[in-house]
Amino acid sequence: MHAAFPFGYPLPTAFYLSLYVLTLVVHVVCMNYVLAGSAYLAVVRWRKGGAAHDDPAAALLADWLPLMLSVAITAGIAPLLFVQILYRPQFYTANLLLFHRWMAVLPVLIAGFYLLYLIRQPATLARWPRLECLATAAVFGGFAFIGWSWTENHLLSLQSPAVWTAEFARAGWLFFTPELLPRLTTWLCGSFPALALWLLWQLRWTRPSAGAEDGERLVRTQRCLARLALVMLGLALLSAFVYSRWLPAEDREVFWSPLTWPWLGAALAGAAMQAVSYQQMLARGQFRGNWLMLATSGVLLTTLGTAVVRESLRLARVNLSSLLPQHEAAFAVGGLGVFVLFLVLNTALIVWCLRLTRRRR
Amino acid sequence: MDITPYPVNDFGPVMKGMVIGGLGIVHVFLAQFAIGGGMLMCYFQWLAQSGRLPLARRFTDGFFQFLVLVSFVLGAVTGVGMWFTSIQVSPRTIGVMVHEFHWLWATEWTFFALEIAAGYSFYRCGRRLPDSARMTLLVLYSVAAWFSLFWINGILSWQLTPGEFHRTRSVWDGFFNPSFFPSLLFRTITSLTIAALAACLVVNLMPDLDREQRRSLLHRAFHFLAPMAAMPLLAVWYFLTLPDDSREWVLGGSVAMTLFFALGAACSLLIGAYALAGLMIRRLYMNAATSALLVALALLATAGGEFVREGVRKPYTIREYLYSNSISEAEVARLREIGCTSLDPYPVLHAAQYPHPQLVLGAQVFRIQCSVCHTVDGANGLVHLAGHWTPTQLRMNIAKLQRTKPFMPPFAGTPRELEALVQWIRWQRQGRPRDWTPDVAEPPLEQIAAWLEEAGTRPGLELTRTAEEGG
Repeated sequence: MHAAFPFGYPLPTAFYLSLYVLTLVVHVVCMNYVLAGSAYLAVVRWRKGGAAHDDPAAALLADWLPLMLSVAITAGIAPLLFVQILYRPQFYTANLLLFHRWMAVLPVLIAGFYLLYLIRQPATLARWPRLECLATAAVFGGFAFIGWSWTENHLLSLQSPAVWTAEFARAGWLFFTPELLPRLTTWLCGSFPALALWLLWQLRWTRPSAGAEDGERLVRTQRCLARLALVMLGLALLSAFVYSRWLPAEDREVFWSPLTWPWLGAALAGAAMQAVSYQQMLARGQFRGNWLMLATSGVLLTTLGTAVVRESLRLARVNLSSLLPQHEAAFAVGGLGVFVLFLVLNTALIVWCLRLTRRRR
Repeated sequence: MDITPYPVNDFGPVMKGMVIGGLGIVHVFLAQFAIGGGMLMCYFQWLAQSGRLPLARRFTDGFFQFLVLVSFVLGAVTGVGMWFTSIQVSPRTIGVMVHEFHWLWATEWTFFALEIAAGYSFYRCGRRLPDSARMTLLVLYSVAAWFSLFWINGILSWQLTPGEFHRTRSVWDGFFNPSFFPSLLFRTITSLTIAALAACLVVNLMPDLDREQRRSLLHRAFHFLAPMAAMPLLAVWYFLTLPDDSREWVLGGSVAMTLFFALGAACSLLIGAYALAGLMIRRLYMNAATSALLVALALLATAGGEFVREGVRKPYTIREYLYSNSISEAEVARLREIGCTSLDPYPVLHAAQYPHPQLVLGAQVFRIQCSVCHTVDGANGLVHLAGHWTPTQLRMNIAKLQRTKPFMPPFAGTPRELEALVQWIRWQRQGRPRDWTPDVAEPPLEQIAAWLEEAGTRPGLELTRTAEEGG
């Protein structure tokens, strides 16, 4: 690489890399809602011994998590497609080596999905509050397992063929590297600021029944979310720093390389924007749209910057020259025009669908 | 030649095809239920808003909850599961499909996103929306769901009937292949049928309805069974587009294929007969048990159809390009020179348990060339199929594999590798004894090479055809 991402690569590679990163950002922003949201809901319900009707954020989460899980899965399909174009041998090999352990994400996802629908119905588990707490904790446990599996799969895909061969010979279903924990911690902590922002927007747009009449309760929840975002943002930054120090020397070089700086800078700038907006909202006691917009830009910038830094580390590890002919061949395949046409058309139709829901009988 | 070596997992006594087939059948059934369900709800919404059947509005809301819980959850996750399972079974095949059709797959994704958006908009807000908005959302949902089928159908049917694709390399030649339209129409009618049967089940499960109300709803749902009348014609059209040899497998050439085809046809016939005689003419009441039974029959019909669709591709996984063991026609000749194991860096697990190095090599050959369709001694086990052959028979039959059975690909390895496979089958047949020696001190490698040469590297079905044409 001789220029900042994505310019240092041949056009086909740069094109698919850009598409991959952009679609990954959309997926991550939605996935953050599900991962951090299920954790938030589990903690609130555990503390309150069952359904937490007096917490507007928890009520929103219970209502919206099934839908957001669908959105996160749907958004995840696009990067899953592009990763197969970009890093097919690496991705497939990691899938195959983890085997049953990797495939377990599917039943776990289905179980989590149905538990979310169960939790959504207040009457279903009302008689058994402890069971409700357990179900909520199980949902978070399931999503954490899926996150761990993805991270493990990703890290295994970055290894050399010699490591793959050794892993196959070992026939183990777990792949542990020292990077795993700080990396997971960074992802998990980083998901909370995005969740807080989603919820703050939702609280602004909707009038949750639990908090509508009690303005004080609503403000308390908003302040709690802002504090949560600030604390978790700090922890995510700390964890990312620790992660960068734990990286092998050659990866550390990539992480702190001048070519990575623009994206590292973007991630940090995004974090600063979030910190400033939350601090301002807390200081003023008002959660206005302009500050939320600033925080939203910050979340997007941080996620984008982090995704590119993550990709730079991968690009430094894989044997890219062997993949370039595949990218070039894929670039020559027809159908791009049809995709763009229907992307625009269907995006417009999705917006129309959302507008239709505002109508009243 | 660029053969990326992937690690191959052992599924034990379970055939890999059974795993992907099982998941595929569930996914296809649920996806088709979602497609037909959308159309059915448009119809019921129209019945409600036009005043023909006001009760239909209540049904639509109830049915949609059912659809979301079943289809949006299980359907969506098994869809992702199909990708992951395909990677486990045949990474090269799914890699080629993604490579050649990634923009069409991405296009399908935009429709899936629209389907989810319209579906959830209706699910969350449908009850309080005016009729026009409800209908718009349902139409958008149905159109998006059907277009998902449209795009995926092109990619799947390309595997069996690639048409001009391999000559022109045009994505559209591959997509609009000979079996595209009959397959699309057949699947559309199947979707309507599944939705109608599921609707009958839901009507019976809805609380607070009297028998007459249920009857009126059932009668309307039965209308969606009427297009089944076109199924035999579409099936004939589909069969006519199949390659000759694929058609032969179904019509007696492969008894398993014939039986599964018969199962699918019989189940469809039963549903059709019930729909026509019992429902369309006599307007019989259908209770929950009968509805559930007919849904189960529809699932069996789907299973039979999908098994046949997967099976008739043999010996290919992508016709005229990739054999079922993920080795291309062009690569067979090369692998006969350098050996199929020479490119595989992954060791044979528990190699120390094999009493002879030749058996380790044989196990590796089995893993690379056979394990995608065969197990050792489980489902479609090699020991059951070939263990009773004499060593000479084994050598010749494997060397001329595509002639032995035309739905098998040609052997793609050296004579030494073939001999190792022969010895490994014998050893497995004898119960994996600890002390073991090959049946001959000097294996007849020259004879094996001659047989391999004689069989060539072309598929068996082509060799048979050429021989017949040559008299």
